[in-house]
Amino acid sequence: MVRIKHRYLLVNILYPDAKHSQLAPATKPGDNVPYTVQFRRPSPDQMNGGLLMRLIRDGVVELFGDYGSGKIAGSLQVVKYFSSATSTAIIRVSREHYRLVWSALTFTTRLPRPVDQPCVFQVVRVSGTIRKAEEEAIRRARLSIRRAEAAAKSSSVSIAGTASTTPTAVAAGEDDFDMIHGIEDPDEPGDMDVDDDG
Amino acid sequence: MAPTRPPPPPNNIKKRKEAPTDPQTNASKRYKPTDHRQKTRDARTLSTQTSSKAFKNGELDVSAFVKSRAFEISALEEGMARSKKALNRRAFQQVPKELRRRTASHNVKRVPKRLRERGKREMADDNTPTVTARRRKPTAHMRLRLETVKKLRALGAKRKAGMDRVKVTVADPNGAPPTKSTDSAKDKQQPAESTTAIKARTPKIKKSLLATPPVPKAKFRKRQIHKSWLPTHLFHAKRARMTAPSAALWRFSVPLTPTAKSYRPTHRASHERGAVAWDMSYIATVQLEGREGSLIGMLKVLGVAEEELIGRKGEKWRQGRRALENFVYEREAPHDPVAPVTIIWCVSAAEESAGMAGKEKRNRKLLLRVHPSAFYQLWEELLRLAKVAKPAVSVEDLRFDIGSLEITGPGGTEALLSALWPSRTTSEPLAVRDSASTAMDIDSESRNKNTIVEETWSSLAGLTNPAMVPKNALLAFNVQDPRLHHPPRTIKLPKTDAEQHKLLELIASWPVDAAQQPPELFDRKARQAASATMPSQKAVNRRKGLAAPGQYPEPLPKDPQIPVLLYTTAPSTTDKGASGRPPPNSSSWTLLTPWKCMQPIWYSLMYYPLSTGQQPRFGGLDQYRQLSFEAGKAWFPGDFPGTKAGWEWEYAERRKREAEWRRRPKGKRVSFERVEVGEGVRGEIGIGWGCDWERLIGGALVASEGEEAAMNVEKAAESGDKSAENGKTKAQEEPKEPPQQAPSKPPHLTQLSARQALALLATPPATPPATTTVKLPPHIHLPSALTTVRLTLLTRGVPQPCARIYRLPSSTANPELRRQWLALLPTDTHKPTQKRGGKHALPRGLPSTGEIPPHVVQQRLAQSLLEPVRAGEEGYPSCPGEGDLVGFVTAGSYDLAAGFGTGIGSLLVEKVMGREEEAGERHLCVVRNSGTGVARLGRWEVI
Repeated sequence: MVRIKHRYLLVNILYPDAKHSQLAPATKPGDNVPYTVQFRRPSPDQMNGGLLMRLIRDGVVELFGDYGSGKIAGSLQVVKYFSSATSTAIIRVSREHYRLVWSALTFTTRLPRPVDQPCVFQVVRVSGTIRKAEEEAIRRARLSIRRAEAAAKSSSVSIAGTASTTPTAVAAGEDDFDMIHGIEDPDEPGDMDVDDDG
Repeated sequence: MAPTRPPPPPNNIKKRKEAPTDPQTNASKRYKPTDHRQKTRDARTLSTQTSSKAFKNGELDVSAFVKSRAFEISALEEGMARSKKALNRRAFQQVPKELRRRTASHNVKRVPKRLRERGKREMADDNTPTVTARRRKPTAHMRLRLETVKKLRALGAKRKAGMDRVKVTVADPNGAPPTKSTDSAKDKQQPAESTTAIKARTPKIKKSLLATPPVPKAKFRKRQIHKSWLPTHLFHAKRARMTAPSAALWRFSVPLTPTAKSYRPTHRASHERGAVAWDMSYIATVQLEGREGSLIGMLKVLGVAEEELIGRKGEKWRQGRRALENFVYEREAPHDPVAPVTIIWCVSAAEESAGMAGKEKRNRKLLLRVHPSAFYQLWEELLRLAKVAKPAVSVEDLRFDIGSLEITGPGGTEALLSALWPSRTTSEPLAVRDSASTAMDIDSESRNKNTIVEETWSSLAGLTNPAMVPKNALLAFNVQDPRLHHPPRTIKLPKTDAEQHKLLELIASWPVDAAQQPPELFDRKARQAASATMPSQKAVNRRKGLAAPGQYPEPLPKDPQIPVLLYTTAPSTTDKGASGRPPPNSSSWTLLTPWKCMQPIWYSLMYYPLSTGQQPRFGGLDQYRQLSFEAGKAWFPGDFPGTKAGWEWEYAERRKREAEWRRRPKGKRVSFERVEVGEGVRGEIGIGWGCDWERLIGGALVASEGEEAAMNVEKAAESGDKSAENGKTKAQEEPKEPPQQAPSKPPHLTQLSARQALALLATPPATPPATTTVKLPPHIHLPSALTTVRLTLLTRGVPQPCARIYRLPSSTANPELRRQWLALLPTDTHKPTQKRGGKHALPRGLPSTGEIPPHVVQQRLAQSLLEPVRAGEEGYPSCPGEGDLVGFVTAGSYDLAAGFGTGIGSLLVEKVMGREEEAGERHLCVVRNSGTGVARLGRWEVI
């Protein structure tokens, strides 16, 4: 039997530019909210699955014209998962055309109109099953928790209460990167760069 | 209007809990419990958190950040678990196909052990009602019936108690069933315990009378009024499709096919790995007893060949060391063929002492085994012959006395070995015995002659093909109750070369021939003793409980000694597989044993763990036919339309196919009257849903009334005019109920044996058949003599049952058509097995993608012009006319053994003999499936 095959893209939305944030940091940016938290800031509430869908479609049309939009129209589905609180999404697209979506995401620099905010879309995982995408999302969430806590500790902000509430979320140290900031890929440790500090 | 929740049950007690739904997504949303799609969709939805909720008043701080991530992790984890559970199947659904039981969804004890815990939990979870029949609250109607039963039981007990007070037990020392005065079943088991025993007169065995089926238990009696159950009926009824209650086959309830899919598994089990067994107890057994001279005389009249009866060839058979399968014929003038019969002589005890004359005079016994469809015909014939024979021969019907099973496949011998533990072996039990040492025992001079058969049997471990032992070899010995060794364990098989060599030596020397004692199966008393002393399952269980753990219970001297008789059925040397090579494994073991001992043996066989994995499969009638078809053997009665039984079978099949055809709406069934049958004629020849032998023999003019009328109905309906409409309504009522009884066989229709047919076919074409040198018996009416043939299609196509077989048109009548057909003949001899591509396939080895160079395309084009045309293309020869119709296919399909379509059919010998044929064109024919216009080139050979 021939099956329709899909690819699931796990996407993070990153906000490298702190100035345009709609969410005001509790205090001055850079004081005690670590950069890693700002970088992975929550998306605004207006940003939802539908908007992301529109963004991808527009991006594909722009890059690949009617051909590309026709190719992905049948299979594209964002509603698999979109969490604005963590700026994470899982996008489903047919196996043949996931690169169109990927490139459209990569070329996006700004969220569309009602939000209108500079951002970076990072495709962190392409998988054949949603399960693997979910597992990766969990792994990354754990990593960012740990990183945030470590950063908070280092910047001597008391987050003791937070740490005690999420002991389960902190995983054992197999993927314990001592990275504080930046875009990391555990598969290719050489690519880790720390130059987005400033 | 969305369907709202179903109304609550009246008593407000939910029989089943609803399936666990997603707790957090829309708790208010309800859907029907059958809406699986919605359920899975719900299960797959992941819960999310909006940023405004996660970050109170829009402040970004680390603790909220961490919390939101933690929420995401738990949401994803829960989502994964939920969607996995939604896909989950219940424990009883995960069971492999062959272990599935309908009852498993209600009774956790029916689920295999490893899944039982889970099943129990699931059933508790959703409140599955599990009631056993024992604990079910009877309905009002049932309660009345049960009360009646109770009252009757009480009455019966009272009556019995009254009888017991005045009873005098009559005991029979020989173990024969007590006479009529003591008819309670219990007394049969334990005669004469309390009261004084009076020695009874041995009941006279009623010869020449039809046997009555054993009286079934009261519980099952009503279901066996017009038919009998096989000894393993309960096993099969649970696992196989049986004949319909109203349509018993040969007065038996016969398993037709296992419920599980089994076409390919049966082929594999019989050819490659495993074993297939059948309960063949429906095969009738008749015993003849009398002077050897008169018996031989009788057999001679029945048509057994001279060389078997008096010649050296049949010496071993006459001594009772081999079985013989032979076609028997009626005694009266047309000498109609009756059926193939297996004949087994009983070994005579004092053989060496008697001289030639003494041999003639001594009393011998022989068993005849015949298919039940031909039993009555043979029985009548035997009775007539026995009356005439001098000195008299007694005929005894052992139908419900001797049961039988057949097992084939590489694991068959192994399974039988584990089920049949000889009673007389003094050495250690079979499973732990070293087979090499037994083989040595046999070779050694100190062997005990009494147990040589048993020892030979025990050392057959490792034999994968029963055809390796001498052909039709017989083994007769007594075995222990197989229930004592249940569940069976895998026996030890020879592994080393030396052991294998021993086995080969044993098979070559075959010491059984010299040492076989008279089989006790021929002895009525032994049979009855074995049946009567079979302990109850309770007693067996008790003994097994007393045995040490892991040990089988010790054999006791009081144990029943079940007489068994084993013989191999191997294809005769002239038989070859459908593709011209002998099939790898088409031989089988046949086991005869007393009717009542069949069931324990059967269960031991069925649960034997084969050394190659799995257990032996069981087969139904369809599987039996499938395997005999794959072996290229004709199956009685289906493939012998020239016999009475075969004729009746064909008629029953015809009715079945007709009913099937009629059930379909007009637009969706084959419209036989429109089929192009060659020479520009439209309309199927004869009856489209049957092999119309009447038409073939009698020509187009003589046709059977009812069926032809039915076909004409369709024609009339097609024409559509008023008069036809009237005719239709009148005629339609007529064929609605075809006669129940098959019309009698055309008087001269007969089936020639392969030998006769081959002799006739070998006559040179110049001489007319009347003046042939072949000594054909004068009673045979040649224009209606059939012979069974095997067909292979040379190009493509698969013959179906009822397909029409034509000879090639003669070179004088229609040379053009003949040339066209001959052009289709493949030049290579191994062509039909070659890979044939699709209709427009390019040759293999070409690049599948990209440009094909033009010269290849041209080459291909040129090749295709040279190649014979394919069906459907212009220039494909049409079917020959009705004048060239020579026969019909009785069994045909895709042959898994051969790898292409083959068939078994019957031909009119007269129409194919004396044809001018060159070497390459011998036995060519054209086969056209009923209801289709495309004919295929084939070749036939007599079997």
